[in-house]
Amino acid sequence: MKGCEKSMNALRSKRFIITGLVPAVVIYSLFVFVPVVWSAYYGFFSWSGMGEAKYIGLGNYAEILRDPVFGRALKNNVIFVLASVFGQIPLALVLAVLLHKNNFLQRFLRSAIFLPMVLSTVVIGMIWQYIYHPQIGILNFLLDALKLGDWKLQWLSDGHIAIYSLIPPLIWSYVGLYLIIFMSALQNIPGEIHDAAKIDGVSGVRKLLSISLPMIKNTVQVAVILCISGSLKSFDLVYIMTKGGPAHATELLATYMYNSTFATYRYGFGSAISTSIMLISLLLIGTSQWLTSRRRARE
Amino acid sequence: MSSTTPMFMGKAGPSAQAGTQVWRRTRNAIFWTLLTCYGIVTLYPFLWLVLSAFKTNEDFYVRPFGLPQVWHSENFMKAWDSSRLGTAFGNSLIVALGALVLTLFIAALTSFILARFQFRWKGGVLAFFVVGMLIPIHSTLVPLFILMKQMSLLNTYWALILPYTAFALPTAVFVLTAYLTSVPRDLEEAAFIDGTGLWGLFFRIMLPMSIPALATVTILSFLHSWNDFSFALVFINKTALKTLPLAIANFADGYQTDYGLTLAAMTLSVIPTIALYLVFQEQMMKGMTAGAVKG
Repeated sequence: MKGCEKSMNALRSKRFIITGLVPAVVIYSLFVFVPVVWSAYYGFFSWSGMGEAKYIGLGNYAEILRDPVFGRALKNNVIFVLASVFGQIPLALVLAVLLHKNNFLQRFLRSAIFLPMVLSTVVIGMIWQYIYHPQIGILNFLLDALKLGDWKLQWLSDGHIAIYSLIPPLIWSYVGLYLIIFMSALQNIPGEIHDAAKIDGVSGVRKLLSISLPMIKNTVQVAVILCISGSLKSFDLVYIMTKGGPAHATELLATYMYNSTFATYRYGFGSAISTSIMLISLLLIGTSQWLTSRRRARE
Repeated sequence: MSSTTPMFMGKAGPSAQAGTQVWRRTRNAIFWTLLTCYGIVTLYPFLWLVLSAFKTNEDFYVRPFGLPQVWHSENFMKAWDSSRLGTAFGNSLIVALGALVLTLFIAALTSFILARFQFRWKGGVLAFFVVGMLIPIHSTLVPLFILMKQMSLLNTYWALILPYTAFALPTAVFVLTAYLTSVPRDLEEAAFIDGTGLWGLFFRIMLPMSIPALATVTILSFLHSWNDFSFALVFINKTALKTLPLAIANFADGYQTDYGLTLAAMTLSVIPTIALYLVFQEQMMKGMTAGAVKG
């Protein structure tokens, strides 16, 4: 600001800057940054939440590397990431192309698809729990009605398929977000490009693949990063639907952290898992950023 | 279309044109059927939830897809009474509004400073907030629990208001700073020359000016705190302080075998959000995607 140059004013604005920044910096540091540092610190201890914490160096991390449940949780997280990237994104792209008009039916469908985004994951998880319910679940009733009784399964209590049963609710609840992201990206393609395509006689699927998609490539890349970080954050849905069971079959890193800390009171071990989640997601986001920036540099 | 059709006609003649038209019509029909089916599948879980909330347990087995034989609207009354849903609504409202007011005020002030003043640590402060968007919320649950315990904040409204605010700040600061940077400064400079103080500038000029960005932040912050489950699960275990998602999840554990009652409680819990969604659809879609893309 021009007037701020004068010394009196400069002093006043300096005081203003400091008082103004303090609340945000304090709350944010205390509740976002301090915990991250603390969990890195507690990760080196064996601690039951009460009494003395015992320093055990890298003991917790050594245990994590050997722990089959942690491996399973990591694998399940990867399944979630893959299901989101290869399920949500293509589905959302197809829907975005199909639902680009503004008539009543299309607007209605867009709202319907986005609706789960504004609801609590608790309700979403519970609805799907009922859909998969072994006695009153509509999925099994539907299979019966279609004379496919043999296909009926214990969707959430069979350890072999439970993790895959969690994928439809996952996709169902987030596809709306990507649909809207892609739709606005497609609308931002300048009109001249559509005109040029028309003159060249390019339309339909070919136009989509060779013009529209490359034009929104950056948005798709952002969406992929969102998908990765979003699926690493999954906790609520799985906690509500299976609590990580049966026998750790649907354990995710976050549910395993929760169970280790609050069910078996291993605060040190739980903290070490927290720190690992942090490192893994930074690593994944960093890698995906690096890959895209490298590709961009090459072009 | 108009410029491509003549080319086709010239090449293939009228009979082929009729063929393409039939093909186009069938394609459209297939396309609409598929989309409508998808819409039904998407909405069916909600439809099922609301219809089933009126059912008796027997109805679930006998007519899983049908309408309830008798509409048991007393399920809702019973659910409301036995789940302390009223208390939970109140708690969610207090926590969500508390976090919202705090987030709006703090984030607007921070963004005002970041967007309008030149000072040495500016870049550092902005980067500090932006990095927060990368931190997975759940990795802080355990240490936050320990911290809250030591600050004796567990089982208070602050145990939720403060972390909700803290985690809403990065996106809020980002959205608001970006918005303010794009807005011209004429108005403020005029006011400043007229002798308005810095706080006056903030309250009387900046806040009203950034209403569009504040609306986005409101949607993001409110929905996040209203719907959050994990923080409430870990920091609150007093029944009197439980928020809506937590109360619903606990209710389901307690009344597992009375399906109609649980579903009635769930239906009641989503009514406010769905009502807001019906009114503010466009804004919510835009706000949440803006927050996600930037966040």
